[in-house]
Amino acid sequence: MLKKAATLATVAWAAAAMLVIVGWRPSYALNGPSVVRITSIEVQHKRVDVAPHGLSAGDTDISRALLYNRRITKKAIGHGEIVCTFTGGSSRVCSGSFVLPRGRIVVGGAIIYRQLYQLAVLGGTDLYDGAHGTLTVTSVAKKPPKDVLLFRLAA
Amino acid sequence: MTNVHQIELDHAVTVSHPRLRALHVDSLKSRVIGASAVLALAVAGVFAVLLVAVADLRHATARETRSKDIVATTLTLQKLVLDLETSGRGFAISGNPRLLEPWRAARVALPGRITKLQRLMAEERDRRASVANLVDLIRSYQNDYSIPLIRIARDNPSAARTFLATAEDQRRTEEIRNAFDTFLSTENALATHDTASARRTASRALAVGVAGLVVCGAFALLFGIYLARSIAQPVREVADGATRLAAGDLGTRLRVAGPKEVSELTAAFNVMASSLGQNQAVLATQNEQLRESDRLKSELVSIVSHELRTPLTTILGFTNVLLSRDVDEQSRSHYLGIIDAQARRLSDLVRDFLDVKRIQEGGLELRRELIDMTALLREQARFLFMETESHRLKLDLRDDRLPVVGDKDRLTQVVANLLSNAVKYSPAGGLVEVYGSGRKGVVRVEVRDEGVGIPDELQPRIFTKFFRGDAPERGIPGSGLGLTLAREIVEAHGGQIGFTSAEDEGSTFWIELPAAETLHGDPHADERR
Repeated sequence: MLKKAATLATVAWAAAAMLVIVGWRPSYALNGPSVVRITSIEVQHKRVDVAPHGLSAGDTDISRALLYNRRITKKAIGHGEIVCTFTGGSSRVCSGSFVLPRGRIVVGGAIIYRQLYQLAVLGGTDLYDGAHGTLTVTSVAKKPPKDVLLFRLAA
Repeated sequence: MTNVHQIELDHAVTVSHPRLRALHVDSLKSRVIGASAVLALAVAGVFAVLLVAVADLRHATARETRSKDIVATTLTLQKLVLDLETSGRGFAISGNPRLLEPWRAARVALPGRITKLQRLMAEERDRRASVANLVDLIRSYQNDYSIPLIRIARDNPSAARTFLATAEDQRRTEEIRNAFDTFLSTENALATHDTASARRTASRALAVGVAGLVVCGAFALLFGIYLARSIAQPVREVADGATRLAAGDLGTRLRVAGPKEVSELTAAFNVMASSLGQNQAVLATQNEQLRESDRLKSELVSIVSHELRTPLTTILGFTNVLLSRDVDEQSRSHYLGIIDAQARRLSDLVRDFLDVKRIQEGGLELRRELIDMTALLREQARFLFMETESHRLKLDLRDDRLPVVGDKDRLTQVVANLLSNAVKYSPAGGLVEVYGSGRKGVVRVEVRDEGVGIPDELQPRIFTKFFRGDAPERGIPGSGLGLTLAREIVEAHGGQIGFTSAEDEGSTFWIELPAAETLHGDPHADERR
């Protein structure tokens, strides 16, 4: 039994090595510019207030949202998390990731106004592997906090 | 002529049934209906082609109109989007609420315009995607950006005035503008194509209409020529024939041809012409007969005048001699005998005239009595030869008695006439033979002479009233009534009369009467009955 498992592990390792050698990429990766429009509704928000009390550099906002595409389904198609660390005033540095049905997109950048901001797409997995571009977020409602996420991706 | 009538009758029988008449494909009616149907089909075909052309034209025009409408609607839509953009941006930068008026108006008007554009493009299946993309961009811009931006500008004007806001606005509107440009360029190209297509279709419809009018005109012309040849020309020929007929050319005949009605008309015309010819021939014959009758009557008047005048002259002459001179007894007796004979002749003449008149009026009455023709023949022969001494007589009676039932005076008149004719038409010294015989219930009497005979061409008319042949030229007296009366009398007794004759050889006249059988048994039996 152990011998068989060892054999399978060896084959898998060899196959992985071959893929690395030939520069393999997923067959369903983006092959051109694309735009992804998603609506997000915040479901959880947490602020970590470090001293001094009140909004100050070092405070952190952590929020979690469900992602929807009403044209496809009324149910959530994924979720996203974003963590912003205040650097002074209303400026903050944020990083986040959005889990979508066909892969994960990772974003990051600085934000001044929460109502309208833009982050850089840093990369992703699966379909969005190696993707880059921008994420423009527009707040369309306050309660519940509802944003429109517009990913402009380049392969 | 009978054949013609028979043909006409057969023809009438053949086509007399209404259904058969209706099915007669060669009739004028059928031809006119057929020609009209062809013309109607041609007109219908031309109209069908015209309808198709007009429908194409309408379709092309509608397509052109719709294209123009789409362009107009798209331009309006583009203006509304521009209002959204400029007005929203102006408000975001200035915060002046008055600048939002166009933005609000554009928001109100946008749904209706979008719906109209979608409706106009509903039939353009291959272009629905571009419309949907354009509408998505507009709605996304409005809902995802413009409306939130206005709200952000109210809540946090600084956030709405950032470079990001401006750049995002420009980026989105640029996308929409590009989409509009693409859509409009495509639509303009289509509109141009539709306009050109509509013009081509209009030109084609016009050409088809003109060609259709030419074709219809040609068909109408051909139809008119056909009608003229089928109807007007035959009728003209019939009219010409009728004119010739009226002018007296009874030999005019028309060629029986063409459609059924026309051939029937020409055939009827030919029958009428034949009938007219026949009637004219009959009229000519009757006219000739009338002329002949008139001539005979004139001749009769001449004969009567002569026949009356001759004995009257003789009577008057001898009467004058007896009254003015002294004559001896013998001469006196001789003259009185002549006067008596001429008076009898006058009497006979008048009697013949009266008899003819009576026969003509159907008033000849016969007595029925038993007569012995042997005795009658002997008596008449003796009377005749008392008057003439220049002829020889041979009386050959093979039976002692030849009984018949009849009118003795009339039969005597017949026999006397035959004997008188034999003497009159025989030269002096000629032999007159009289035969009488009875056989098989028939009493036959023959009177034969050696006279001038009767030419063949005159024989058929010998019993005609007042007909005397060449007797007047020969100076033979007579009225031309004797043989006519003889035939009437003999036939009234149920008998027959006839003759055989050869010119310059003589004639034999005979009569046959039914024999009275009772005479052999009881001579008076019939009288008692």
